[in-house]
Amino acid sequence: MATMGLALPWEARISNQEQERGSRVGLGENPGSGLAPTSGEVRPDDLELAAACQAGEMHGYERLYSLHGKRMKSIARNLLGSTADAEDAVQETFLKVQRSIGTFRAQSSFVTWTFRILINTCYDARRSRMRKKEVTSEGTEQSPLPERRAPGAHPSLKLALQRAMEKLTDHQRHVFLLYEVEGFRHSEIAGMLEITETASKNTLFQAKKNLRTMLEPPRSQAAEAR
Amino acid sequence: MNDMNVNCPDRERIFMDGGAAEWAALEGHAATCAECGEELRVWKSMSTAAGELRQEWETPRLWTRIKRGLTEQMSEKPSRLRAWLNSIGLAGLQWQTAVALLLLVVVTGVAWRIFRTGPELYSQGFLNKSAVSEVEHAEAAYQKAIDKLEAQAKPQLEPTGTPLMASYREKLLVLDNAIDELRAEAGQNPANAHLRRQLLAMYQEKRDTLQEILETKR
Repeated sequence: MATMGLALPWEARISNQEQERGSRVGLGENPGSGLAPTSGEVRPDDLELAAACQAGEMHGYERLYSLHGKRMKSIARNLLGSTADAEDAVQETFLKVQRSIGTFRAQSSFVTWTFRILINTCYDARRSRMRKKEVTSEGTEQSPLPERRAPGAHPSLKLALQRAMEKLTDHQRHVFLLYEVEGFRHSEIAGMLEITETASKNTLFQAKKNLRTMLEPPRSQAAEAR
Repeated sequence: MNDMNVNCPDRERIFMDGGAAEWAALEGHAATCAECGEELRVWKSMSTAAGELRQEWETPRLWTRIKRGLTEQMSEKPSRLRAWLNSIGLAGLQWQTAVALLLLVVVTGVAWRIFRTGPELYSQGFLNKSAVSEVEHAEAAYQKAIDKLEAQAKPQLEPTGTPLMASYREKLLVLDNAIDELRAEAGQNPANAHLRRQLLAMYQEKRDTLQEILETKR
């Protein structure tokens, strides 16, 4: 049974958080992150933030950081595997935003645009690191900071999921991470990755199917194997 | 109360793009279907575990670092290249990407220019197949005429002739060398219109020179 060493019954790994997150676990679209409405129109506060940054006002960048810095770090941490790299990527993203702010045309949400830059920055960092063969073992790359302990999910499942995510394609990993981990809506993911909402939904489905196969084969397959 | 009827074949479609009502109907179906119940549980537990991968940690100095970087960057005078890239909306690119794009634009421009002006260039610098054939035909006619004239002028060009004939001999020798060289080059590059023009000019010069020699006899 190809379970990546996991023989725990799935029931045991489901946390009570499922109820807390009932609106986003399996029951359709994420409630969203508040970055942009589903219609795709740009919010006034988003435009204000963009205007402040375009004017070179530091408080604009500070507000961007205070509103979205935590999520930016989390995305970067999950894409790059280390807190130090994640912080570097977030810093680099802010510098890139400042350098490119003149090109922002408000055709999409400013925050979505910023997250797109973050994802590209992480992608570049990851590619550059792979080129330099600096990827060390996962143990040394893990954050030295204490991890937030999930109340219900078995730690093995989290670890197995992290490992399985590494085997997804970059695109599938990005969509899975943004939707399932960070709670973005498909409309927001579409804006960040410059794809359609349908493509985002399809990619998420494929990613989850692949993860499901990697983590534990369906019972019907397991029974056939016996 | 859920009136929607959902069966096993609907499961994956609902997983991919189901609305809240469809999910509720699937939950209802899963209560009586072991396979769907298991798949639904697994599908949800992946989402639950994924949600726990979201991480938060305090980094009190990160904003200070970012602010310092931004301040330094804002105080820097942008380079001319950066300013230009900014003006054309490419400032966010890595410099390698920008250079590659620039190169692509230049190569495309050159290719486009060659494509657009191709027929003119061919008419000016290169000959097409039929033109080469025409030129070769004309050269052959010149060669034939020159051979005839040369045969007629041969007695006058004997080394015992006048100093004028000696200078004509020298001139013909120079023209013959030039013709040989040009013919060799034209042989390697038959469509080169410039070479062909020079060769024709040499043939004309030789023909005119031989006619002058014959006229001096009269």
